[in-house]
Amino acid sequence: MLSFRLRFKASLPQNLSKILKLFATRSNILETNSNESEQFRVLDLYPQTKVMQEKRKTRKTSIPPSRATNMPTDQDWPSVWPGARTFHPASVPLPLRQGYQEKGASPNKYANAELMKIPNFLHLTPPAIQRHCEALKQFCTKWPTVLENEEICSKHFPIEIISSDYCYSSPTIRDPLARIVNLQVKLSSLYLDTHAKDKLLRLLGNKYNPETDIITITADRCPLRKQNLEYAWYLLMAVYHESWRVESWEAEKSIADMEYFDWDTSQSRTSLVTLYTWPIPPTDYDYEIIPHATEYKIAVSDLINNGEDQYSVNKYKEAVKNLLNLKCDNKE
Amino acid sequence: MYFLFTYTLFRCNLTSFRREYSVFPSHYVEPIYRKDEQEALFRSEEAMNIAHQQVKPAQITDTCSEFYDARVLKFINTIMRNGDRKLARTLVTKSFEEIKRIQLQRYHKAKTNEEKDNIELDPFVVFHYAVDNCTPVLQLINCRKGGIMYKIPVPISPVRAQHKSMKWLIEAAKEKDDEERFYNMLAKELVSASQNQGRAVKWKEELHKKCQANRAYAHFRWLK
Amino acid sequence: MERTVGQPVNDSFLRRIRKTHSRKFSTVVEVKDEQASQVCSFRTAENNPINHNTDHIARLYTVPIDIQRQIFQNGGLPGKFMKQVTTFQECSIMVRQPAIEIISYLNQVDYTRPVNKYVLYGKFGVGKSLTLCHILHYAFAQKYVLVHIYWAAHWFKDMKEVATSVLSPGCMDLPIDAGLWLKHFKFQNSKLLSELDLKVSKDYVWNQREMTSQGTSILELVEFGMNRIKYACGVIDALIKELKLASIAGKCKTMVVIDGFNAFTSSHTRIRNDNKVMVLPKQVSLAIPFFDITKNDWCNGAIVVTVDQTANKDRRESHLPRYLLGKEGFEHLDPFIPVLIEDYNIAEFDSMIEYYKDRKWIRNITSSGQRELELITNRNPFVLMDQCKFL
Repeated sequence: MLSFRLRFKASLPQNLSKILKLFATRSNILETNSNESEQFRVLDLYPQTKVMQEKRKTRKTSIPPSRATNMPTDQDWPSVWPGARTFHPASVPLPLRQGYQEKGASPNKYANAELMKIPNFLHLTPPAIQRHCEALKQFCTKWPTVLENEEICSKHFPIEIISSDYCYSSPTIRDPLARIVNLQVKLSSLYLDTHAKDKLLRLLGNKYNPETDIITITADRCPLRKQNLEYAWYLLMAVYHESWRVESWEAEKSIADMEYFDWDTSQSRTSLVTLYTWPIPPTDYDYEIIPHATEYKIAVSDLINNGEDQYSVNKYKEAVKNLLNLKCDNKE
Repeated sequence: MYFLFTYTLFRCNLTSFRREYSVFPSHYVEPIYRKDEQEALFRSEEAMNIAHQQVKPAQITDTCSEFYDARVLKFINTIMRNGDRKLARTLVTKSFEEIKRIQLQRYHKAKTNEEKDNIELDPFVVFHYAVDNCTPVLQLINCRKGGIMYKIPVPISPVRAQHKSMKWLIEAAKEKDDEERFYNMLAKELVSASQNQGRAVKWKEELHKKCQANRAYAHFRWLK
Repeated sequence: MERTVGQPVNDSFLRRIRKTHSRKFSTVVEVKDEQASQVCSFRTAENNPINHNTDHIARLYTVPIDIQRQIFQNGGLPGKFMKQVTTFQECSIMVRQPAIEIISYLNQVDYTRPVNKYVLYGKFGVGKSLTLCHILHYAFAQKYVLVHIYWAAHWFKDMKEVATSVLSPGCMDLPIDAGLWLKHFKFQNSKLLSELDLKVSKDYVWNQREMTSQGTSILELVEFGMNRIKYACGVIDALIKELKLASIAGKCKTMVVIDGFNAFTSSHTRIRNDNKVMVLPKQVSLAIPFFDITKNDWCNGAIVVTVDQTANKDRRESHLPRYLLGKEGFEHLDPFIPVLIEDYNIAEFDSMIEYYKDRKWIRNITSSGQRELELITNRNPFVLMDQCKFL
């Protein structure tokens, strides 16, 4: 058919009459084959172009507007969101956005998987918690009236026990970290003398924080919290009583082992008294009679105990000058 | 036409890919670090031209110090071996100190005021005099003509002349006994060179004499 | 545009030099004119340190040449300063606050009481040694017997010879150093000692044949030590004891001046004994008498020492006296008066610059150049001296 048409196209101007004749004969033959319609048939030289199919109309369903849009501002939120649940955009009247896209702002809350993934605390608003507390109040005992403020609390209950509970979704509800017990007590709340305090600090080592004055004993070697707590109590007791005990070898402690400089037992005092009584050798090392000796004592102790700096050296100089009765009258 | 265009573009790219030894591209402006030069620059119109250009960072030896002298710096660099600038600087500093000591000694020895005035106490000026006095005006270059080596006197470029003068001064100071220190010898050499004496000046005069002797070959310069 | 280093243009360069040169000559003349008016601004004509007071602070005075020869003949002035002295042809020392302070203490102190100790301290190069020289000159003028060690660390670092001591067993001797010190002592005090005519109070037996009997003069004892340097350390020990006794008796006044005293309390020396074991300073027989004389169990004298970071090897982090002396040294000297020496203040710096200009050490320096020097030296005296050397 195609070849025929091409040929027809080429020779159309010349042999139109011949072709028409030919077609007439062919159509006659076709007519005899289909004898139903008697109508005159239209000559169809070009095949008709297909009519464009109309787009199927999407059926619009009428969705009511999101509940969040017509929520009153003074509604009772804990009743809207009473418990922990996954985020739902229609229930939360907040313009939230979460996630990232290459261009433009972050996606909004509708159909936002990112918002649904993260846990939310919308059920733990302050009024909700307050209601919980109110409901739980009937099961609580009354707070002691004497314990008015933090100071009194820490005075009557100086020991603080810190342990943590863990709650999460796993086959077991027991977390190994829950066994750890911290016992904290202020050093000043313990009854100690100079020796006991010194020894206690040596025994404690880095368990004592000099900045906050707090001793922290951590027990984690037993599998249960109760055992650890008892162990922490035991440790505190042991270290306290041990610090009060005076061992025989402690008498052998020399000056080099002292952390601080004690002027009363030092060479400085001896030389001062010797200097004062010169040329007679001193009988007793009493420094009270020497003028300005106390100032000198403080200056030397500060110089050695607090570390040497320009200020302490100057202070020492002034003390010595007063001691030796010298005046510097030429200061500019 | 199209081909030609692509070709020129290629050439341009090639030139921009030329390998530079400096980390800074060649369009960066040299820094100006002397205060007086900066002031002069800001007064002139040049400052507006380079206001928005990028400037190379100043080198470690570039300083706006009052006591900076470009020629002394050059001298330090000439003395320097193996990049040990600290040592070279120390040597020059010490020899300047020694120059001052020598000159002050002479100053105190001098009896009349005129004699005293004639003694130059500034080591920098002594140094400049010494370098100028040792600077040759001619040099000899070798040329083979008909199997014979001729020495042709030719004028010397200022840079080369200064370098030669500095070299002579340093070499003259290096010829010393083991007990002598280099900076002391250098000081002595600089002082004597500033008075047109000493070995470095003699070497310069020898070179000039040789040039004088070979002046018959001077025209070979053009025959080459 | 600036000319780069690599391309000097000869003729313009020459022109510049001539210009600066001519300028220089003109300024030389100007300085001379100014000299007359500026003479009093940085110099003081008062060359006797006894009369120095606060009015002379930040001015230079000149040590007369004969006194300089007598006190500092065998050392005493720092080496680099000595070089300046020969170049400037005068020994000028600046009168500074710490020296004046100590001199005022020395003037007001009660000499029947035990001696006071003054410890000079400060950072490196602030002029501790020169302040000490000033005080030494004062003591010389006040007719003190001078017991002067110009750098204590020499004995433990660059000692000449080490020998086992005969007189004090268990100690090491430094015979040559001891002989040199005796020579130094004699040089400084020969005139005064011959005037005072001090006698030895007891017999000193050196060996079977040689002894110094009671009643011989101290100068003879010193002579003996210089001739028999084997016993020089013993002689020093005896000499110091005699000086102490004489001072207590009121026959003479003694001034102990030690530069770098903390070398005596150092825990490191280069002295080794026969078993190649390091010897501490207190086991050196030469150091023991000086430990003895720095105690305050005598009167009619004064002790001025310096502590320096460079004097010992083990403690160099701080310049403060307690650290440098260490525990033992502090206990030994305590109670002492620490005197801080600081960098130049503005007045001192200016007068130093003026002095250098006067001595032609630096010339035609502009005010901005002076400011630059002030900034790069931080007004430290030593650094200033170093920085002015090549200008």
